[in-house]
Amino acid sequence: MSPVVQTFKLSKWYGNILGLSEVSLDVHPGITGLLGPNGAGKSTLMKLLTGQLKPSLGRVLVAGERIWNNPALFRRIGYCPEHDSFYEDTTGRQFLAGLLRLHGCCAAEAARLTESALKLVELWGDKNRLIRGYSRGMRQRLKIAQALAHDPEILILDEPLNGLDPLGKRKIIRLVKEFKAENKTVLVSSHVLPEVEALTRDIILMHQGKILAAGDIHDIRDLIDTHPHVVALRCSRPRKLAARLIEEPHVLKVHLGPDGLLTLETDNRDLLFGRLPALVLELDLDIEEITSPDDNLQAVFDYLVGK
Amino acid sequence: MSIREKGYHRWDGRLQERRRAWRPITRLGIRLAFKRKFFKFAFSLSFLPAFVFLAGIYLSERLQDFRGFIQKDAVPIQVLPKYFLSYLTADFLLFMTVILLIFCAAGLVADDLKHNALQLYFSRPLTKWDYLLGKAAVVIFFVLLLTFVPGLLLLVFKLIFSGSFAFVVDHPGLPLAIAVYSAMAAVFFASYSLLLSSLCRNRRTASFLIFGVYVFSDMLAGILQGIFRSPYAGLVSVKSNLKIAASPLFGVKPPLEVPWACSCLILSAVVAAAVWVMNRKIRGVTVIK
Amino acid sequence: MRAASRAAVFFFDLGRRAKRTKFFFALGLVPVLLSLLLRLRHVLSVSPRGFSGDFFYSNVILPFYVQFLLLMLALFFGTSVILEEVEGRTLAYLLTRPLSRAAVVLGKFAAYAGLGLMVMNIGLLASFLILKIEGAADPEVWVTLARDAAVLDLSLLCYLSLFTFLGTLVKRAVFFGLLFCFGWENVIAYFPGLTQKLAIAHYVKSLIPQPPGQAFSFLRLMLEPSPPLVAVLILLGLTAVFLAAAGLVFSAKEYLSPD
Repeated sequence: MSPVVQTFKLSKWYGNILGLSEVSLDVHPGITGLLGPNGAGKSTLMKLLTGQLKPSLGRVLVAGERIWNNPALFRRIGYCPEHDSFYEDTTGRQFLAGLLRLHGCCAAEAARLTESALKLVELWGDKNRLIRGYSRGMRQRLKIAQALAHDPEILILDEPLNGLDPLGKRKIIRLVKEFKAENKTVLVSSHVLPEVEALTRDIILMHQGKILAAGDIHDIRDLIDTHPHVVALRCSRPRKLAARLIEEPHVLKVHLGPDGLLTLETDNRDLLFGRLPALVLELDLDIEEITSPDDNLQAVFDYLVGK
Repeated sequence: MSIREKGYHRWDGRLQERRRAWRPITRLGIRLAFKRKFFKFAFSLSFLPAFVFLAGIYLSERLQDFRGFIQKDAVPIQVLPKYFLSYLTADFLLFMTVILLIFCAAGLVADDLKHNALQLYFSRPLTKWDYLLGKAAVVIFFVLLLTFVPGLLLLVFKLIFSGSFAFVVDHPGLPLAIAVYSAMAAVFFASYSLLLSSLCRNRRTASFLIFGVYVFSDMLAGILQGIFRSPYAGLVSVKSNLKIAASPLFGVKPPLEVPWACSCLILSAVVAAAVWVMNRKIRGVTVIK
Repeated sequence: MRAASRAAVFFFDLGRRAKRTKFFFALGLVPVLLSLLLRLRHVLSVSPRGFSGDFFYSNVILPFYVQFLLLMLALFFGTSVILEEVEGRTLAYLLTRPLSRAAVVLGKFAAYAGLGLMVMNIGLLASFLILKIEGAADPEVWVTLARDAAVLDLSLLCYLSLFTFLGTLVKRAVFFGLLFCFGWENVIAYFPGLTQKLAIAHYVKSLIPQPPGQAFSFLRLMLEPSPPLVAVLILLGLTAVFLAAAGLVFSAKEYLSPD
């Protein structure tokens, strides 16, 4: 599958401040999470991908074409900006319909698409209220609505879950997943790792303007050889299992907590999981729980950033 | 019972209530004004009339040195209280004061309204009057720098160039007149600019209003004077009101034949209107219906 | 062009709802009120003082438009074309539509020009009718109105295009605009010869007949007028140049939100 979004050694300076440094990435159809702390360069990258900023160095291609000053591409792109800004003196319906008319839609089509988009984000009931009277969550949903109202193939969402309550977040996450099901491309940025984990396993990790890692969360985790994997076990006779496991060459560390939780560090998780069933049978144990506490984005990010 | 780690120490002191809470607001406003591009240029340009009038004072004391350059029938410069009034109410000085207001005053309230910063202010032990006083003090500072300071300095230089205190002895009310007029102008311009700044949420619009109202009032006064042929039409003009109100302080006939009390009343009405509007606009919480 | 017209319709719709448009409509009615005042005074006066509607129209209403309202409208709307979007952080919505950047500028310019022209022409027509109603049967009177309206409209478009260009170029466009209108153009008017031609106001005033009498000193004109055709061509040319420049600058420049 050819990438939908490509960047080649993309760099961006704001005067003396480096926003992005030699970012080369490919975004394929599906949902890709763009992760990083505040100031990592996520919004800068998104603005470059949507042609709002010009690269200082490098190239950006969206659907195989350069994005800067290429308005025709925006028929296929929907963008949800980070900032909470609107034309405050308009209603939600007027705002959406107006933007759809800029797409070249006739009045009837704009009205139809507006209704569809507002219903999708559950703002139809407040369509005739002025935007200045909308709550934070409603404003965020309106931003998402304007991004997908014209049914784009590519969605670029900059912190779309900001300001939403947990129920609202779940609805938007479900909406974004439906996009994936239609074989569209979604690039979602966030600094809240669990939100992105709920959306996708394909991530791009950024820090200080650079890409730290890109790909599947688990693959990235496996590639971090410098950090052993952590596995936590709860069983009937943890001391016995601990004594047995410490003899295994791939087990680097064994810790028995006061609550009976057995925590292991291993440099080969697959080998450990391969040996575990045999050990359990040999020692006649009852395993209550097995988890990988560091097989998540937070741990991956912490390892890569070097915390 | 588990041992808990105490991460803080109880403070045994007394909380002192600082009743000059407006000062940080003023300091910040002044600092931000100086950071703006072109403000320093405009600010420097505003002192041009002071230098011109200073040169006039020098020339008036050293007239014999310049006899060769001056026509025989030329009227010599007379440095009297009217001279100081001319400086303080010079068209160019007032125009530059308005330009400076665009830089230092336009965003004082407008930016806070735009960014919902009022909640940040009033979630601290700050009263509404501290806030308003702090903002007004920014404008008062700059206006006094343009009026009171140069006005007094011109008087000092007059004494230095004349070599005696005779001038002050002859016109003992002049220092007070300079101070009173400067204070009046400062309070008026502070109220005027804060009123217009609080009417919009955009600094650019506020800049526009500050300049536009000043120019429009003058233009309208001229038109109404033409229609009605009455000096009272001049009371519409901001500039004229300042000149008329200043005249009795310096013992000079007003430029228009209008009681100076009318101008004072109009200037006071603007200040009162500003206080009323800002009292309504400056709130910690805004209810949007 | 179609993209620009879509943008124009969008922004016209937005602009007509805005409070500032209502404010400018109110400001545009000031000449109407003044005309009504004069008319009432004339009607109620025991001994008429000799002001004619023609005189007041030529000496007050037209100069009020030329030296104040037109400039204020052009300055405010012109600088708002781009700066409003940048300051309000709504530029992202426009730049991520299938509209060229030049179309955004042109469309918004057209929308604000429409609003400005409405404000000015409604006030001008109303003032004109109030002051010259006696001569309404004379076609010459309507020709005069059409000529004055055309001059003011062309002037508004020229100034608007200048300030639109200024707004795409610099952040402090209002400051520079005020310096230009009330500084440069006022000062240069008193310079003789070719120097006068370095101001847009020169060409505007060249198209307006000299007012009779000097009743209103602050509106005094010191002019060595250019031929009318030259003035029209220069104004049209300047409008086109500034608009093209605005489109070019906006297409090439990136705008950072004021973070």
